[in-house]
Amino acid sequence: MNIVDIQELSFSFSRNDEPIIDRFSLSIKKGEVVGILGPSGSGKSTLLRLIAGLEMPSSGSITIAGRRVVDDRMFIQPEDRGVGMVFQDYALFPHMTVKDNIMFGLSGLPRDKRKSDLEEMLELVQMQDYKKRYPHELSGGQQQRVALARALAPRPNVLLMDEPFSNLDTDLKDEIRHDLREILQKADMTSILVTHDQKDVAAICTKQMMVPVTSRSM
Amino acid sequence: MELDKARRYFQKECNGWWLISMVGAGVILLPILYVFLSLFQSPNENWIHIRQYLLQTYTVNTIILVTVTGLLTAFIGVLLAWLIASYDFPFKRFFRFTLIFPLAIPPYIAAYTYRNMLSYTGVVQSTLRNQLDIHINSELLTLTSVSGSIFIFTFFLYPYVYLITLAFLEKQSAAYIENARMLGQKPVPIFFKIILPLSRPAIIGGVVLVVYEVLSDYGVTSYFGVHTFTTAIFQTWFGMYDVDSAMRLASWLMIMIVGLVFIERLLRKRRRYHLPRQSRSIVPVRLKGGKAVAASLVCGTIVSIGFFIPVIQLLAWAGMTFHTIWDSQFFELLYQTVYIAVIATAIILVFSTIIANVTRSPSTFSYILSKIVTAGYSIPGAIIAIGVLALFILLDGWLAPVYEWMELGEAPLILSLSLVMLVVGYVIRYMAMGYNAMEVGFEKVGNRYTESSRMLGHGKTTTFFKVELPLLKGALLSGFLLTFIEIFKELPLALLLRPFNFETLATKTYQYANDERIYEAAIPSLIIIAVSVLSVIVVQLLDRRVKE
Repeated sequence: MNIVDIQELSFSFSRNDEPIIDRFSLSIKKGEVVGILGPSGSGKSTLLRLIAGLEMPSSGSITIAGRRVVDDRMFIQPEDRGVGMVFQDYALFPHMTVKDNIMFGLSGLPRDKRKSDLEEMLELVQMQDYKKRYPHELSGGQQQRVALARALAPRPNVLLMDEPFSNLDTDLKDEIRHDLREILQKADMTSILVTHDQKDVAAICTKQMMVPVTSRSM
Repeated sequence: MELDKARRYFQKECNGWWLISMVGAGVILLPILYVFLSLFQSPNENWIHIRQYLLQTYTVNTIILVTVTGLLTAFIGVLLAWLIASYDFPFKRFFRFTLIFPLAIPPYIAAYTYRNMLSYTGVVQSTLRNQLDIHINSELLTLTSVSGSIFIFTFFLYPYVYLITLAFLEKQSAAYIENARMLGQKPVPIFFKIILPLSRPAIIGGVVLVVYEVLSDYGVTSYFGVHTFTTAIFQTWFGMYDVDSAMRLASWLMIMIVGLVFIERLLRKRRRYHLPRQSRSIVPVRLKGGKAVAASLVCGTIVSIGFFIPVIQLLAWAGMTFHTIWDSQFFELLYQTVYIAVIATAIILVFSTIIANVTRSPSTFSYILSKIVTAGYSIPGAIIAIGVLALFILLDGWLAPVYEWMELGEAPLILSLSLVMLVVGYVIRYMAMGYNAMEVGFEKVGNRYTESSRMLGHGKTTTFFKVELPLLKGALLSGFLLTFIEIFKELPLALLLRPFNFETLATKTYQYANDERIYEAAIPSLIIIAVSVLSVIVVQLLDRRVKE
């Protein structure tokens, strides 16, 4: 079964602008890690935001885990889509500790389950010793791990990552790429990763595509 | 197809937040529109009388006040901004800050302070007479109607021009001024050839604020007995109880303001300079000898007239009346003022937070909404007051059957005699202050935390309480302070909309002054001034924090 199914998706920032995404289609199977490569301004971040529900397409449809989330006549709010996202700057809540950040997406669950999920996530990203820290007390790489754990904790159908390495030092990148691949594999997570760096895709992804992809250029 | 899309849009955007915003916009828009509608009703006898005998005087006086004050404040404001921005002289840092202080003295307080200081029995003439034995024609010093108002407005409103022009000169003009210096120009030609034309948009911006203040003034002009549109609106209501004519006057005043906005756009239109992006701060030139003394003297004189002299005089008067004024009744008055200001401010902040949250996502709709919300600030208090008053009387008329059913008597005035009316007036007038603070707050927080929270399964409202509210604390605090202080010292709305026997510090001060009980007015005046100085300091501190 396809976890993500995008059909003929188009988007432009205003009515009169050239579409930044033009009749784009993509299917992703369970467990695939898709890398989307392209220069800045090619609409790759916008594609993630459309899947997440943070933008509304001008036409086309998106289906996630068999459920239609947007088309020309309906729109499902981002919080109801079962999509996780790691933002480029991580956007960890500055007024919450690591623990509270990760538990933030687990609010619907019983107390015990939340606790055990938290421990599981901390272990997955190897951050057990940092639960009481605040985001500004962590290094860039540690922040990224917390952001990843926070996005994975509610067990989304698909994980979106927007330039996850752009805020890290070059000498750290190799190691963290390797870790990320392991984490995603362990969690058996269907993912879409957007980047401008071919190396990211080569190290992590099972499948890649280039943007801008428009129906015209294909 | 389009209909489906519209429905999809509503599915995405329409929620409680949106609905409350619409209610807020409606509350603000309704009285203003109601005032405008009065233009299309057939006029009554009063109006015919007003139009025949009085309208011309109102118009001429208003135009004279606005034009002369505008020119004088522009002159003083730019002169000071130029001195402070481009030169170093003794006490400059002190003057840079204190030159703003005249804004902290409400013009009506300044008006009665100066009028009495300069009168025959006032401190100036009696000192001249008794100590120095100089007898002058007392007419010469007496502040009278139009010229007196212009004097007061000029010395207590020029900081608007000074502030905006100073900010412009300090940040943006270094390259031009230094270039002109390199090309061998002397300071005076630089002022006229470079600084004046370049800062035109800033000067116009400041003068427009001054003009708004003059147009909405009631305290100064009524104290000096000048007939303007605003005083006329009050007189038609208090003297003749003629709401229709008052509304008609208000709508004419509003047309003048729309005209003003139009003129402002026209004046600024072709003057949008592309200023150098990487602007350095200007390096001030050190003045020496006579020039330095002259510069200090100019600044010192203006800040003395605009702040220190009236404050010292008020302190002296306050000392004389302290034992009679400072009693439990006074605390009651203080409590009432704080009470109503806190209620109005709280309502304003709730609405502005909700509306600022809705207008975060850019669209034509949010642009219009933000314009409506901030409209009240550029509309004189008297217009808002008369609109609210008329609307509440209408509302009481509609509710008459309900009142009767509740056995409150036949067609009583319930709402229009209650505090609700004044609170609504405050909310309309000062919504802009709260909204601007919250808009900046949301801007600083950004969208990323909100988006993360929604990706983690929380809706708009939970996100607000769990994520945004804790991050907005600073903005809420500064918004609360600024709005509270404005309402605390507000005069025209309170005068027109307060219930019978309800007094605020400002209305009481005004009443003392009007009854020629000048000494008694000193203590409430000083409290208002102290609170306003606090607001000036808060604004400056916030400004500095934003810069960092």
